[in-house]
Amino acid sequence: MFSLKQKEEINGYLFILPAIVVIFTFVLLPIGYSIFLSFFKVKLLGGVQYDFTGLKNYLTIVTDERAKIALWNTLKYVIIVVPTQTMIALILASILNSGIKFQNGFRIIYFLPTLTSSAALTLIFMWMFSLEGFMNQFIGWLGFAPKNWLGDPRVALNAIMVMNIWSTVPYFMTIYLAALQDIPRAQYEAAEIDGASAIQKFLYITVPNLKPITNFVLIMGIIGTFQLFDQSYIFSGGSGGPSNATLTVVLLIYQYAFRTMNTIGYASSMAVVLAIIIMIATIIARKINREESLY
Amino acid sequence: MKGKRNIKEILLYTMLIGYGFVTLMPFVWALSASFKPLSEILKGGMNIIPESPTLDNYKFLFHVSPYFPRWVWNSFFVSLTVTVLNVIFNTMAGYALARLRFRGKKIILNTILAVIMVPAQITMIPNYLIMKALGILDTYRALIFPSMVNATYIFMMRQFFINFAKDVEEAAAIDGLNRIQTFFRIVFPLAKPAIATQSVFIFLGMWNEFMKPLLYINSQELFTITQGLNSFKGQYATYWNYIMAASIVSILPIVLLYILLNKYFMHGIQLKGDK
Amino acid sequence: MKKLSLLLAGILLIGAFLAGCDTRTTDTKVSGREVRLAVWGSSPAEVQALDKTIADFEGETGIKVVKEVISDSYLDIIKTRLIGGEGPDVFYLDSYAAAEVIESGAVMALDEWITDDFKIDDFYPSLVNAFRGSDGKLYGIPKDYSTLALYYNENLLKEAGYTPEDIPDSLEELHRFAEALQPKLQEGRKALTVMTDLARMMYLAESTGVDIIKDDKANIADPEIIKNLQLMVDARAKGYADNPQGLGTGWNGEAFGVQKTAMMIEGNWVISFLKEQFPEVKYGVKEVPTYNGKKGTMAYTVAYVINADTDNKENAWTFIQYMTGPKGMDTWTKGSGVLPSRKSVAQSQNLEKDPVKSAHVAGAQYATPWQKGIHLPTVMTNFNNEFLSAFLGKKSLKEAMEKAQEVANKEIAAQK
Repeated sequence: MFSLKQKEEINGYLFILPAIVVIFTFVLLPIGYSIFLSFFKVKLLGGVQYDFTGLKNYLTIVTDERAKIALWNTLKYVIIVVPTQTMIALILASILNSGIKFQNGFRIIYFLPTLTSSAALTLIFMWMFSLEGFMNQFIGWLGFAPKNWLGDPRVALNAIMVMNIWSTVPYFMTIYLAALQDIPRAQYEAAEIDGASAIQKFLYITVPNLKPITNFVLIMGIIGTFQLFDQSYIFSGGSGGPSNATLTVVLLIYQYAFRTMNTIGYASSMAVVLAIIIMIATIIARKINREESLY
Repeated sequence: MKGKRNIKEILLYTMLIGYGFVTLMPFVWALSASFKPLSEILKGGMNIIPESPTLDNYKFLFHVSPYFPRWVWNSFFVSLTVTVLNVIFNTMAGYALARLRFRGKKIILNTILAVIMVPAQITMIPNYLIMKALGILDTYRALIFPSMVNATYIFMMRQFFINFAKDVEEAAAIDGLNRIQTFFRIVFPLAKPAIATQSVFIFLGMWNEFMKPLLYINSQELFTITQGLNSFKGQYATYWNYIMAASIVSILPIVLLYILLNKYFMHGIQLKGDK
Repeated sequence: MKKLSLLLAGILLIGAFLAGCDTRTTDTKVSGREVRLAVWGSSPAEVQALDKTIADFEGETGIKVVKEVISDSYLDIIKTRLIGGEGPDVFYLDSYAAAEVIESGAVMALDEWITDDFKIDDFYPSLVNAFRGSDGKLYGIPKDYSTLALYYNENLLKEAGYTPEDIPDSLEELHRFAEALQPKLQEGRKALTVMTDLARMMYLAESTGVDIIKDDKANIADPEIIKNLQLMVDARAKGYADNPQGLGTGWNGEAFGVQKTAMMIEGNWVISFLKEQFPEVKYGVKEVPTYNGKKGTMAYTVAYVINADTDNKENAWTFIQYMTGPKGMDTWTKGSGVLPSRKSVAQSQNLEKDPVKSAHVAGAQYATPWQKGIHLPTVMTNFNNEFLSAFLGKKSLKEAMEKAQEVANKEIAAQK
């Protein structure tokens, strides 16, 4: 017979086995192939041809000016979007969970942006940000001069940021809402007896209890923003313009993988570097949020 | 005291309604645009009520292909299957990673996290080659197999289970339930809010999935709705009127599903706190 | 109990699809006489015309056509399928991407298949040449083409006190005309809209015989090219022209349809767009005015090509032969509104007399095809990226083009 500990171990493997099989076949294998490609100069179309180039692809990234611009754009984007969307999502979720009236109605309305595909959203937004679109009419009403949101390099990325925050907040808000159900009511009741204010309850009960979920939201936010592609692709018609203002790392990877010839190896090396950067960023975020020590 | 509270409430509701307006605006606009002729959409008026309302855009969609009902069924079938499989597999994996002790757990968790960090654009070609090797190109299986498990939601479920009260499982162990029984009889029902959230997102993700059907499915009768609705797009001209009608048609089923499932989101484990 | 039923439902669903609920219709191995054809998504009129032509072909030859529509990212998907060895027998190939696909060896040379009966000389030479490889062989048969022409809004001209005869025949004068027209237009309207991608301006850049790509290198910062394109940048600076985005629209056709612009240089695809969506707009069409004393326009053409890997070459060629033959092309172009790439079909359809299409057909004689070898995609991405900045007045054209050329050449070097 097995000991209790061994039993738990067997169960553990059993529980995780389906996930492992699928992830190995459909995720790890392709990634492995990409890592392999990143050390080669590759021709795939019309007869496969590999030339081993060692680290050359990785070294090229350092001198690639557009890679630097893309990384800088992406970093700016991550630093602004991730904290903003996390905070808005958390605050909205706790308000919606505080037993206010019509909370169901609000939840459904707030959830709407998540339901649409990002392509359709981007198109709607492009119209709203166009010269005579909603955005300009709105800021005109506030007394500001209209802006060329889509054409002006200085504001094009901002337009994408607004859009991304708008469309991802409900996603994270819904996750927070589910997590809020797990916080024992008794904790709040005890705090109320002690005379805690709503803000105190939020800071000392809600926020600490949600820490694992905040970790999830932060990490997913970081990954999602670092991998920004759809919006900048549609905004710029695939070029990353005007003057690289909307060029993101993944858009550049895409250009090298599909638009230019025989550079898929280089694109792969860039993807590997991006994954490493994301890893570092998530480690930093986990440190800041003080990851639970529950391994 | 009461006055102060009222002011607070008014402020709160103003904020909520304001944000609601921000989220709703683009949708209301898209909805209204789907009933306008293209010329009216492009004139750029802010009017929500169409000047010359028309059903032509919808009529066009339903007549664009004889396969239309089949596309809806395809999307529905694939999304539902994927959702059921994901809920079972992701929840099991997330639970194991949060609660069970076994060797290699940390490596598995980190690997699951790491794979999400590699952009999908780069794995498109190898993925296609794998599908070909498995001989499942141009079948439902090509859409279902790679999506049966989702690393993101394994991670999410793990984060949920970390906060789970241990006493429930301990009580189950005393009652003589083994781990598998505990999982399906005790843990699964208690995780309802997280599972409901997960299912909506997975269903949604699959329903809106665009690149995979485009790549793996050739036959028109196996198209998904998003893939099918895009096939009328002109090479040069953009038919906003049809696009808007198409996006309304494709999100409608999910909105209904969400409203139906909504009650499960809040049925939580308040019990636990009272214990 | 509830979980159990959920589990059961799951198992049932798995069973359902394993039982082969998904019928796999397109077997890789061709049984009987069948051709697999891949096309991109297109407008309703084009879909109808294609289906009709295919039906005619099937009736005449008994070969069944399996049509696969790739509704987005066409080139990426086609390339991936070709790499996987699962490509269709016949597919559409745009002249712009032709060089890359041809030079990779993924499509088959057609010279041996072309008989005298096919009359390849009947096609406009510039269109056919867009699908020649660097080895001189022909890899695709152009199924149709589109060119640019000058469109003007009759009412807006009339309101400003002009007649169509006042529109000058040279582009230099046209810009002066537009400048004079601008103050007579209502607020919010422009005399001219221009689209600033390389695909629309390559003929202007090259109008003095200079090449945008020379010796496998980007040449877009050549002083002559900068001089040729300066006109476009100045047009916006002087206030009588803008891009469609500047007028809150997505492309020329929209700006013209809502009458925010009096003139545009646009392709013939706009004809059916205007007819369907903006029937109230009264407009006229002229050939693109001469530039630097020479006639010029762009030609966009698409060919049928055959997958080099297919075992089904015989049927594939029979299909192409029919679709690009006089009869197939007549049905296709009449229904879809694109222009026939065979001179004889253009003649039999009397297109030289057509008030709208004649200007486009005339262009076929002198058009610059949208093709410039394997490095065009790289040069185009960088050109579009930077030109817009110059157009919007953020940089001088010289600065922008020098930047674009430098980056493009670095990228080209990396591809070697």
